[in-house]
Amino acid sequence: MNVTFNKRDPVYVQVIRHFKEQIATGAFEPGQEIPSRRELAGRLKINPNTAQRAYKEMEEAGLIRTERNLPSKITRDEDVLKRVRKELIMDAVDDFVHSVRSINVPVDEVLDLIKEKYEDESGGKGAKHD
Amino acid sequence: MIEVNDIKKKFGRKKVLKGVSFTAEKGEITCVIGINGVGKTTILNAIMNLTPINAGQILINGETINKHSYEKITFIPDAIIMQPGMTIKASMQFMADFYTSWNQARATELLGFFKLDENEKINNLSKGNRAKVNLLLGLALDVDYLLMDEPFSGIDIFSREQIAEVFTSHLVEDRGVIITTHEINDIEHLIDKAVLLDGGKVLKQFNSEEVREEEGKSVVDVMREVYQP
Repeated sequence: MNVTFNKRDPVYVQVIRHFKEQIATGAFEPGQEIPSRRELAGRLKINPNTAQRAYKEMEEAGLIRTERNLPSKITRDEDVLKRVRKELIMDAVDDFVHSVRSINVPVDEVLDLIKEKYEDESGGKGAKHD
Repeated sequence: MIEVNDIKKKFGRKKVLKGVSFTAEKGEITCVIGINGVGKTTILNAIMNLTPINAGQILINGETINKHSYEKITFIPDAIIMQPGMTIKASMQFMADFYTSWNQARATELLGFFKLDENEKINNLSKGNRAKVNLLLGLALDVDYLLMDEPFSGIDIFSREQIAEVFTSHLVEDRGVIITTHEINDIEHLIDKAVLLDGGKVLKQFNSEEVREEEGKSVVDVMREVYQP
């Protein structure tokens, strides 16, 4: 687990985004155990209080579950998992539309380009996290 | 909590601290930032009562400093202070003899964490490894608060990374840490709170996640605003 953080977004938000990406790409499977807060802080080299905050938010959003003193796990709730995937796709599309719009490209031209690119990279497995 | 309330300190005619106030919580990393010569070390020395202050008040868990405070708090200077020729093992023994709060299990763990050989002489160590031994000797004490003077100063990037990792590990546990530094880049993600110092005063103190969340600014962004208006 290695994430490059930017310096202007809250770190806990970036941690949650990382988890969502891992869930959406299947790197984290439903029901899989996740590291303790302290372990996560160590692995990502972040403040333990920040790791705690990220876990608390994910717990409230239903992304992870913690039962008593057992290690936290990724949820098995299909609806939540679908929502995560959709949310990530929507975010990516929003970013894309935002940057394309600023260059004033007609939508049809963009769609053709997207299709072309997709076919070019048909072997590729989407974004890989560094 | 460590509360520093409006402390003032003069050296001769030179007013080094002109009313400095900030707090540092247990379980948090508080970073006192300022260029060299701005009085950062003086503040840590004042908290330890190594440099008596001229005015103001310092409270540790609500009490003014007394002999029991030293069981709760330790100061790690910016360079190791041990007899030349001592091995790491001998310096650890020295600490164990001197402090009842010495925790040998944690010291042994820290040796492994930093990949240090206890039979090495401190004189023969690289600058980075000497800094790690220095930190080890302080971290191995069972105290609530650790004051660290420039733990990242003048050492190579890999040693800096390794030292930074200590702060995210269980070796610091839920203790309160105050670090002084003039260089924040490596540790922006690690700290809870930044205290910006200049001209003997605190120009600003803030929680780093809050400033990212509410203002979309990095710690360095805020420093730029404060130091270069």
